Amino acid sequence: MTTGLTLVVLVAAAFFAAHFASDRLAKRFLIVSGAEYLALGILLGPLVTDILTPGLVESLAPFPLLALGWMGVITGTRFNLQELVKIPAVTYQAAVLESAFTFTTVTALLLFALSWAFDTSISVAAPAAITMGAIAVSSSRQTYSVVSAHLGTTNPLVRQLDISAGINAVLAAAIFAWVLSAYHAAPAASARPLTTTEWMVLTVALGGVGGMLFHLFLGAEAHIDRLFVALAGAIILVSGAAAYLQLSPLFAGVAFGFVLTNTSRRRSEIIAALLRIERPLFFVLLVFAGAMWRPSLRAWLLPVLLFLTARAAGKIGGARLTARTLGLMPVLGPHWGWALLGQGGIAVAIGVDYLQQQALPFATIVFTATIASVLLTDLTSARLAHSVANTLAGVEEEKK
Amino acid sequence: MRRALILGLLLVGMQLVLPLGLAGHHSQSLLTFGFLILAAYTVGEIAVSVGQPRIVGYLFAGLIFGPSLLNVVGSDSVRMLAPINSLAIALIAFLAGAELRWEEVKPYASSIGKILAAEIPLTFAAVAGLMLVMRPFVPFMADAPLSHAIAFSLLFAAMGAVHSPAVTMGILSETGARGPVARTVLGVVLVSDVVIILVFSAALSITQALVPPTEAGEMAGSAGMLAWELGGAVLVGVLLGGAISIYIRFVKRELFLFAILVAFFGAEVARLAHVETLLTLLVAGVVSENASPKEAGLALRGAMERAAAPLFVVFFALAGASLLLSEILSVWYLVVPIIVVRTLALWQGTKLGARWADSTPAIRRDVWMGLISQAGVAIGLATVVGEIYPTRGAQLKSLFLATVAVNTFLGPILFKRALTRAGETVSGGMSGAPAPAAH
Repeated sequence: MTTGLTLVVLVAAAFFAAHFASDRLAKRFLIVSGAEYLALGILLGPLVTDILTPGLVESLAPFPLLALGWMGVITGTRFNLQELVKIPAVTYQAAVLESAFTFTTVTALLLFALSWAFDTSISVAAPAAITMGAIAVSSSRQTYSVVSAHLGTTNPLVRQLDISAGINAVLAAAIFAWVLSAYHAAPAASARPLTTTEWMVLTVALGGVGGMLFHLFLGAEAHIDRLFVALAGAIILVSGAAAYLQLSPLFAGVAFGFVLTNTSRRRSEIIAALLRIERPLFFVLLVFAGAMWRPSLRAWLLPVLLFLTARAAGKIGGARLTARTLGLMPVLGPHWGWALLGQGGIAVAIGVDYLQQQALPFATIVFTATIASVLLTDLTSARLAHSVANTLAGVEEEKK
Repeated sequence: MRRALILGLLLVGMQLVLPLGLAGHHSQSLLTFGFLILAAYTVGEIAVSVGQPRIVGYLFAGLIFGPSLLNVVGSDSVRMLAPINSLAIALIAFLAGAELRWEEVKPYASSIGKILAAEIPLTFAAVAGLMLVMRPFVPFMADAPLSHAIAFSLLFAAMGAVHSPAVTMGILSETGARGPVARTVLGVVLVSDVVIILVFSAALSITQALVPPTEAGEMAGSAGMLAWELGGAVLVGVLLGGAISIYIRFVKRELFLFAILVAFFGAEVARLAHVETLLTLLVAGVVSENASPKEAGLALRGAMERAAAPLFVVFFALAGASLLLSEILSVWYLVVPIIVVRTLALWQGTKLGARWADSTPAIRRDVWMGLISQAGVAIGLATVVGEIYPTRGAQLKSLFLATVAVNTFLGPILFKRALTRAGETVSGGMSGAPAPAAH
């Protein structure tokens, strides 16, 4: 048996062992699935076996790009206006305020920490700090499932978590799209460099116009297999166009999904087709993230630890402050921010996208912070959400 | 019409976007890839509206938007999409193998064996004979001594006997056909793949004895290597299939992701073990299907079909984009007789075998139409010849690829016609395939 084949078999065995171990742990200790795919990526990558060589990762780069666009579209389809108008405005206000607080806290701290630790100017550290702020804003929707299982889907906390996860995802994607627009290199073929606003408009237009055209393209198509093929084509096209222009496939995807969900009569079929490969693509993204990871112990420890602390403080403090400011303390409780700590797929997507932008600084630090945060919150977020739900359920019981 | 118009708008949009981006970046291939899928989808629907199989539409879309005509999808993009193509081939091979559940194939085993025994020798002899007859007009044989002409004729004929598992699976997936004609065609196509690799290897050995390769060319592997390529593929396939059946028996989760991993992993294992990829995945499919409970096997097959649906579009659109129209037109006077003679030989050979096996009238009448297609394996064999004989082999490869191109279009049309005539197509589906179990 060749060395390569032995390695493949070893990695496969390790993966399945890790998968089953994490599966049991997930059931026993409420751990959100995903970390084993990151571990698989690290095992396959240049750090351990080098099966996924940098060249191979480069040649398979269209897959994570597609995953970014796909995740964006799924996020966008959650914003159906007809349903959103039924939810009280204060729910959105709480979500936006909490996001703004988290973003400001993390960005400000990282801005100073990076410029101080690496002896560089604020302007050089800005893209990395802002991106880490965006990553900090994003939160996992998995915790929503945990809490809704306890309190039911009509509970105000459950609704708040659902909306917060959605708003967090869109804001995180939008902030990162802004970073890519603001720090965009001028295209060689254009007569003058495009402004940040123009690049941002182009990002939204790619998704928006793509969504409208695709709505017309689909017509009355309702067969899920054919819908899936056409959707795949459209999302690949939009993601490819955004990535080709060095813009954000994630945010273009959000715009695409938003337009599609608000114009198409086949909304449920489209969502079913999208969800068909949501998990596989997320896992692919995690594997790639693992394979692309290049830690550098000396450089990353301080900023990463600061990121993790600042994010936790931002989420928990921001949520508490928001609830107090908007008079939602009796409904959401003081600890609802704990249920937002789960990091989720959008964070991985932004981390991977940042790493692929060769012109942006501190790529390894941003990416390592993302990976560390995902791994850490995968282990704890569901339990934290569970305890928030338990506390709130206890309070409601006492009131009765 | 509406879709074609939108496709036109997308094309204009792409032309506007292209100057603003990074030319040659891998995302450019993603952009063109997305366009190709939508284009293939559109042309596929047009094909259905005129009563033809979707995959013919996919092929046409590739041809129209590929390097031969509009060049929207350039040769660089086609090359960059090669990993997706390989994944598609691996998945198709596994899916094809998984279709061969013994209890379902058993009633047709005699027909399959006897049809193979008749059609392969007849097609081989007819094509080899024709090549010798046309010798003065064939560029790589016109000035060659008779022994060389015989050698190249045998080689060409061995490649000419190849069928296409990919097209067969594509049409079966599209039509949902699982009747006697469908199962017999699938059986013949899959078993003939193994037989023809052996025939080709024998023909190649004869050719190398008669026409030793020049320094620029490479000697083909030894008999031991060939034995390992085939025997090793069976061995690796059995092990892989066994592992898969354990997974679907005891775990049975994340089947969609698992299906893609199987294809990727199987192809990688085959590459590392230096065994035939297609045969490895095919055997893995057969073993996993037959070693698993029927329900579990069906669930995996369903997941595979869902994963393969977009890959079929990509595979055939890329196959269309790889066709070089100018090369086909330059040798049309050779392509036409080769196709006519091969088709007649397949028709008569199949009829003979089916009569010998005392098959049903539908099998006697319709199975030959499912054997016309040629694609991946044939192209692979032609590439081997091109590498061994850089000058004459390359000319042989060009002529052969021209005939493959025509057969690639002709095959699906005839096969769908055969299935419709036999009353085996199912309405609905990707255009017919029974809805797979949800997971």
